[in-house]
Amino acid sequence: MLQQRSDTAFSYLYDNYSGALNGIINQIVPESETAHDVLQEVFVSIWRKIESYDPAKGRLFTWMLNIARNASIDKIRSRSYRNNLKNQTLADNVNDPLNLQVIKPVYDNIGLRKIVSQLKEEQRILIELSYFQGYTHEEIAKVMSIPLGTVKTRIRSALIQLRTML
Amino acid sequence: MNIKEYIASGVIESYVLGLASDQERTEFEQLAAQHHEIAEAKTRFELELEKQVFASAVHPPAGVKEKILETLGEITNTVNISKTVSIEPTVTSVGKQGWLRFAAAASLILFFVSGYFAYKFYNQNKELTTKNIELKKERDSVANIASEQQKLMNDPNVMVVNMVGTQKAPTSSANVYWDSTSRNVWLVVKNMPKLASDKQYQLWALIDGKPVDLGLFDPPYNKVMLKMNNTQKADAFAITIETRGNTGGPTLEELQSMGKPGLQ
Repeated sequence: MLQQRSDTAFSYLYDNYSGALNGIINQIVPESETAHDVLQEVFVSIWRKIESYDPAKGRLFTWMLNIARNASIDKIRSRSYRNNLKNQTLADNVNDPLNLQVIKPVYDNIGLRKIVSQLKEEQRILIELSYFQGYTHEEIAKVMSIPLGTVKTRIRSALIQLRTML
Repeated sequence: MNIKEYIASGVIESYVLGLASDQERTEFEQLAAQHHEIAEAKTRFELELEKQVFASAVHPPAGVKEKILETLGEITNTVNISKTVSIEPTVTSVGKQGWLRFAAAASLILFFVSGYFAYKFYNQNKELTTKNIELKKERDSVANIASEQQKLMNDPNVMVVNMVGTQKAPTSSANVYWDSTSRNVWLVVKNMPKLASDKQYQLWALIDGKPVDLGLFDPPYNKVMLKMNNTQKADAFAITIETRGNTGGPTLEELQSMGKPGLQ
């Protein structure tokens, strides 16, 4: 009975949110097979951590979206993922500041990426690195050789700009 | 701090998208709890973002769900999931609207039903509390009377006059406690039948053959002690039935009970 009930609740969550979450996972993990693995991890994670969801801090979807984004970033940063990629990954380029200018996301014609691609190049790179690749402000400051305070300010203004395009 | 400037600083977007540092998160949560404008602005952005992400949803192929359910089955067999998941309305495709409405309706019904029970139990509890207080008061007053009665009976100056029923009302009985020093008179009704609403009992003292009014009273609860008018002297006590608020003399035809001091 309990099993049945939780299956129903899971079905509800899955039917309503899997498309949106899969969409965001796909923006970070372009290979759909791997993305589906991440989606599975995300739902298991949501199911396990649902007790820790605090409505006072934000909407349920925001909470799930962040779980999906974090799981996706963990995936693209994992050794196995990097080794499996035949082509050079975007993440590897980050170590070479000169290559930052040529970072081109795989999916820039749909979803958040489509909007981000409309930003000024300087802003686009910051959002790419921080949101889609999960680099901390400190890491970005180091890689791009700009002060931490400037990274913060530029990311914030990029986000404000981004919001007007939603 | 200027709240408007804070809201416009990009901190909300940074927080919701998970780009804020731990310190920024803590500060944001504190400020959002203090200023509803911040919390509202945050929810607005959450909804905008949600709409955008739902608009670019990519539905996973069938089979992924079953695979997850399988994995979850293994987990739920060992982990007891008892938490109710509260589902919030989202921006979804048309096909899902029916379910959404159903869930919304179900949670609304649940809300009202639980509200009704909460209200009912609250009232019931209030009623019981009031009743309990009343009962306690009654118990205390009964205990009080009993102890006062005890005191009176033990007081050597207090005379107990046992009033017995007349032929007209053979079952009527009462005790008069008469303190010969303070002249206080108490009446304890042992058995007095209820009267029509326009009638009252009246206690009289007979002094030198003349009736003196000691007070009107309604048939009280058994054993309740009534403080009557004082009297200096009494050859006898009598209770009659009179018209409510009687100001005249006693209706002796309605004499209910009588007693003489010193005659037990």
